[in-house]
Amino acid sequence: MRTSHSVRQQQPVNMAGVGFQRLVKALAKSKGSGLSVLASGCRAASGATKGSLPGPFPKTPEERAAAAKKYNLRVEDYEPFPDNGEGYGDYPKLPDRSQHERDPWYQWDHPDLRRNWGEPMHWNFDMYIRNRVDTSPSPVPWSSMWKQLFGFIGFMLFMFYMGEKLPSYQPIAPKQYPYNNLYLEKGGDPAKAPKEVKNYEI
Amino acid sequence: MADYREAPLATRPKTLDPNEYFNLSPDYRRAEEDRAALRANLKRQYQLQLNNPHRTELIEDPALTRWVYARASPYPHFRPTKKTSLLGVMFGVVPLFALYYIFKTDRDNKEEKIKAGTLDRKFNLSS
Repeated sequence: MRTSHSVRQQQPVNMAGVGFQRLVKALAKSKGSGLSVLASGCRAASGATKGSLPGPFPKTPEERAAAAKKYNLRVEDYEPFPDNGEGYGDYPKLPDRSQHERDPWYQWDHPDLRRNWGEPMHWNFDMYIRNRVDTSPSPVPWSSMWKQLFGFIGFMLFMFYMGEKLPSYQPIAPKQYPYNNLYLEKGGDPAKAPKEVKNYEI
Repeated sequence: MADYREAPLATRPKTLDPNEYFNLSPDYRRAEEDRAALRANLKRQYQLQLNNPHRTELIEDPALTRWVYARASPYPHFRPTKKTSLLGVMFGVVPLFALYYIFKTDRDNKEEKIKAGTLDRKFNLSS
C-alpha cells in the first residue's frame, strides 16, 4: 500500500547512482586486476589464498623461510633458481630426476605419477613423467654406449664406401644359347644347314 | 636381502640403501626426520580429505596449482639480461631473417634453372 511503501523508504536513494559510486570506489582503490574487484568489493574464500602462489625471487632470509614453508620444503632443502631474469621467480629448484626413478613399491597418493599430494613439483614435471624422459641409470656408461653405436655405424659406412670403390663380382659372360644359337627359333631356314656354332672349349 | 642387486635400469630403493642405516650423523637423521614430518603432515591432510564421507568435490592440490601458475606466468619475473636477450634474438629474430634469406635464394636459383631449362626433377613421378 502506498503509505507503507513510503514509510519503508526513509531516505530517497538514487539506485542508479549507488552502483556507479561503488564502481568508482573500487576502481580507485583496486591495485590488482580482475573483474571480481570491480564487480564486488570482496573476494571469495575458495581458490588459492594470496600468499600461496609463486612470487618473486626471495632476497631476505625471512622471504626464503616463508617461500620454503609455502612449498612444503625444509628451509635447508629450499633452493630457488638463480635470479637471472629467466622467469622462475621463487619456484624451488628440485633435483633433475625422472619419475621413473621413484620407488615403484611405495604407496604413492597418485601411483601412476609416483607422487604424493602436496609434494612440490619439478619445473619440468610434465617432461619427467613415466611416459617421457627417463633419467634412470643405464647399465653401461653413456660414453661406452656412444662409442659402440658410432663405432658400429662408422664401420658400416666405411665398409659400404670401400665396397663402392672396389667392387668384386662373380665373373660373367654373355648368355650362350644351344641349337646353333637358336637358329630355327630365330627364324632360320629349316632346309638350309645352319652354321655350326661351338660355345665351349675343351 | 644382503645380496640384493638392483635392476640394471633402476636406482636402489631408499630403504635398501646402506647409507640409510650405517654411518649416520645426527644432522642427517634430524634432516630426514624433518622431511618425514612434512611428508606425514601432507599425507594426513590428503587422507582426511580423501576419506571424508561428506566430501562431494575433487581434492584440490595446491602444489599443482602453484606449478601451473608458475609455468604459466614467467613474465612478471622476466628481466632482459645478456642471456635472455641473446636467447630471444636467436629464437625470435634470427630465424625470421635467416629463413627468408634461405628460401628466397633457393627459390631464385630454382627459377633461374627453370628459365634456363636445366632444372633436374629427379624425384618427379609424373614423367
